[in-house]
Amino acid sequence: MLIFGIDTCCSAATSAIFDGEKLLAQTVINHKKTHSQKIMPQIESLFSLSELNVSDIDYFAAAVGPGSFTGVRIGVATVKGMAQALNKPCVSVSTLEALAYPLSSFSGIVCPILDARREQVYNAKFKSGERLCPDRALALSELLDELKGEKVIFLGDGVFPYKDEILKAMPDAVFAPATLKMNIAGSVCEVAYEKIMKGEILSAKELTPSYIRLSQAEQSAKDGEI
Amino acid sequence: MKYISFGPNDTKNIAKEIASSLKEGSVVALSGELGAGKTAFVRGVADYFEFSGDVTSPTFTLVNEYDGAKLPLYHFDAYRLENANTDELDWIDDYLFGEGVCLIEWAEFINPILPKDTLYIEISKDATKGDDYREILVK
Repeated sequence: MLIFGIDTCCSAATSAIFDGEKLLAQTVINHKKTHSQKIMPQIESLFSLSELNVSDIDYFAAAVGPGSFTGVRIGVATVKGMAQALNKPCVSVSTLEALAYPLSSFSGIVCPILDARREQVYNAKFKSGERLCPDRALALSELLDELKGEKVIFLGDGVFPYKDEILKAMPDAVFAPATLKMNIAGSVCEVAYEKIMKGEILSAKELTPSYIRLSQAEQSAKDGEI
Repeated sequence: MKYISFGPNDTKNIAKEIASSLKEGSVVALSGELGAGKTAFVRGVADYFEFSGDVTSPTFTLVNEYDGAKLPLYHFDAYRLENANTDELDWIDDYLFGEGVCLIEWAEFINPILPKDTLYIEISKDATKGDDYREILVK
């Protein structure tokens, strides 16, 4: 079985091919956010250097959000296009779940955070490979309150702007090493593999982005002031 | 802060002066009626950042990206976005919180999504003082 995975939701653009046991190939480019320009050349080299054809792929998996609205659409559209052309099924993977997956053996809470701007972060909590809450947007301070007293490892793009604030509230907080701090498509593939085993597959038509809109209160407050 | 302009060149020079305070992540909201000089203002900013290409109206493109300047410049025209709901404007976030300077004509049409530290500039005419007379108010 061959699974192709992609994630362009965050600052790194990444693609990978996984055979259910081994990661056969992976690209990760975390240099300037020009995903729309760089992702197709990445995918082309991924296949040509692996000596594989896109038609060899059995399942197409995408990180569907949360993340940058444009970034989410680039990844989802790319996978929809490829899967539709080849009439193959798709798998929908949460960006946060793919981020957390490689840290499943951490003994505490795995806490990926992405900067949602407007003073909110996208987040979900995981422990031992299990999800503790749905993907959501909330104020960082609210999240830190929830995590008081817990053993936590932080990762994701949100770590960079908010590291100091996190350490102030939780001096014992642990941060993932650079290679695991960011989204990697191999992880999207592994999460997709588990979903395929459970029968959670979709047609290209059914695959859609999963945005998390920020709280209405924020928007209405802005509407009221001119 | 109020500036007086007597024509497009004055507007450009005033814009150049204001541009010196802009940096990565700056968002400038430009309001003013048709012909007030919003695009002339953007030309001034583009000059300051040494963009050598054409600054043209983004009314139809919604946004023009000017590369090759000292900072990336994103020139918006929100005129056609007047009736959009905020979900339809989500793509603009990557520009507003990006690495360049956003210059938004008719910004009042997308007011709900403008960041807190947006610089508001209003360009108004005064027919009693001549056709080319403009008041440029920086809020």
